[in-house]
Amino acid sequence: MTTVDVAPHRRKSLRKTITDSRAIQLVILLIGVLVLWAIISATIDRPDRYLPSPLTTLFSSVDLLEKGVLISFYTDTLTRLVIGSAVGIALGIPFGLLLGLNRNIADMFYPLMNFFQSVSGIAIFPVIVIWFGNSNTTVMIVILYTSFFPIAFNVLSGVRSVPMRYISAARTLGASRFQIIKDVLLPGAMPSVAIGSRLSIGFAWRAVIAGEMLAGQAGLGNMIFAGQELDNTAQILLGMMLIGLTWIMLDHYLLRPLESDTIERWGLVQK
Amino acid sequence: MTGDAKLIVQGLSHHYPDEYTGESVHALQDINLQIHDNEFVTIVGPSGCGKTTFLNIIAGLLPYREGRAMVDGVEIKGPGPDRGVVFQEHAILPWRTVNRNIGHGLELRKVPKAEREKRVQEYIDLVGLSGFEERYPHELSGGMKQRVAVARTLCADPVIMLMDEPFAAVDAQTRITLQDELNRVVMATRRTILFITHSVEEAAFLGDRCIVFSRRPGQIKTEIKIDIPREERLWKDMVNNPKFTDARDEILSLVRSEVTNDDNS
Repeated sequence: MTTVDVAPHRRKSLRKTITDSRAIQLVILLIGVLVLWAIISATIDRPDRYLPSPLTTLFSSVDLLEKGVLISFYTDTLTRLVIGSAVGIALGIPFGLLLGLNRNIADMFYPLMNFFQSVSGIAIFPVIVIWFGNSNTTVMIVILYTSFFPIAFNVLSGVRSVPMRYISAARTLGASRFQIIKDVLLPGAMPSVAIGSRLSIGFAWRAVIAGEMLAGQAGLGNMIFAGQELDNTAQILLGMMLIGLTWIMLDHYLLRPLESDTIERWGLVQK
Repeated sequence: MTGDAKLIVQGLSHHYPDEYTGESVHALQDINLQIHDNEFVTIVGPSGCGKTTFLNIIAGLLPYREGRAMVDGVEIKGPGPDRGVVFQEHAILPWRTVNRNIGHGLELRKVPKAEREKRVQEYIDLVGLSGFEERYPHELSGGMKQRVAVARTLCADPVIMLMDEPFAAVDAQTRITLQDELNRVVMATRRTILFITHSVEEAAFLGDRCIVFSRRPGQIKTEIKIDIPREERLWKDMVNNPKFTDARDEILSLVRSEVTNDDNS
């Protein structure tokens, strides 16, 4: 072979260096935000009411930890989020796939999906409360409902956007309909599955917080809401911090590795 | 005499409705063609002459109603592994490594893993991709991607190999290399090939027979035999081979007369 012309590919060491420098950037950013927060807090009147300092916020967590409620709030909320969005995604993927594969079924269901997608989780909340009361079930249903549509719509458009030539190629290799779904359409729809999952989990986060507040179920959402009633601003900030940090962790340890092992590895998206 | 004919096409015509106007477009007119075992046939013609439509019908990707088309005596009724296709570009699957792309046809047929790996390795060596087995397509150059596509089709062991302008999208230097390599591969594996191209040089360089299509509706205008043994078909020799240059010039003037007609109308 005379011409061995290869596009440059990633090196492990280079990748690690980039990861390290990203981590350093993140730490610097966090410190910056904390310092800014502390300065503002120190210069305003009545910081305990308007913006408690980072330390005060941290101490409020110690207080809640001593009472033994913080961990149970946190795990309650996280459990709802994980189960609710997992079920929503698990139902949304096959549904989107079915619609992506069959034009007739898609035409039939599409207006209905559009209708319900516009009626947000908060808007259906009152009727779910009438049916199931102020219960955990109510919160779970709203999370599931909210996380179902983004993934279903994205899988639908993802399946349709798989280039025809890949399908033709598989057919001329002798692929059956099922083999085309498995080997071509599903992996081809992966970028959309990734985007849809992110949206679904993001929406589920909002639903779980709002749902706990409205249905009065113990958890981070409720803790934030109670913070306002108790005039405990530090508790509100603590809840916000936990939500944001948990999302960063979920993103970093669950979603990013999944994406870098699939769609990034296949060159379907920019790194 | 159709004894060793791998592909038989009789009186094939094709009409399709225009996507926007709905008017019937006459794409192919009364195509009659036989391709024999171990024969390399090229089809050349002006763009829009229906040559890709013809290939898609043979591949089974496009249904036809007028005329007959048979592979190994069996009427074509849809795509199948007896007709392997090398597409113009980027039709190898981005989520499969080189190895798994090449072995895909065997995998679909549930060939046991050990045998599959053995045959995949054979074709990887044949097209010169050793060392790239675990790479993904986006890590390869355009020329290497097309080598994978050729190897994938060869590995599935089709009765006839259909190639649709497979080297049109690579740079000129790589194209020459790929054409030389294809000759080598054809000698090594004995294949029956139908090769579509818009390049007159390519058609004359590769084909045992070159079929010139007229402009739309595409019909067979002429057929030119290029009687040069495959061992002698190397670019460095061919440019000085009168058999090649004569055939090339003849095909060129035929194709140009079609294009000129088109300009006058």
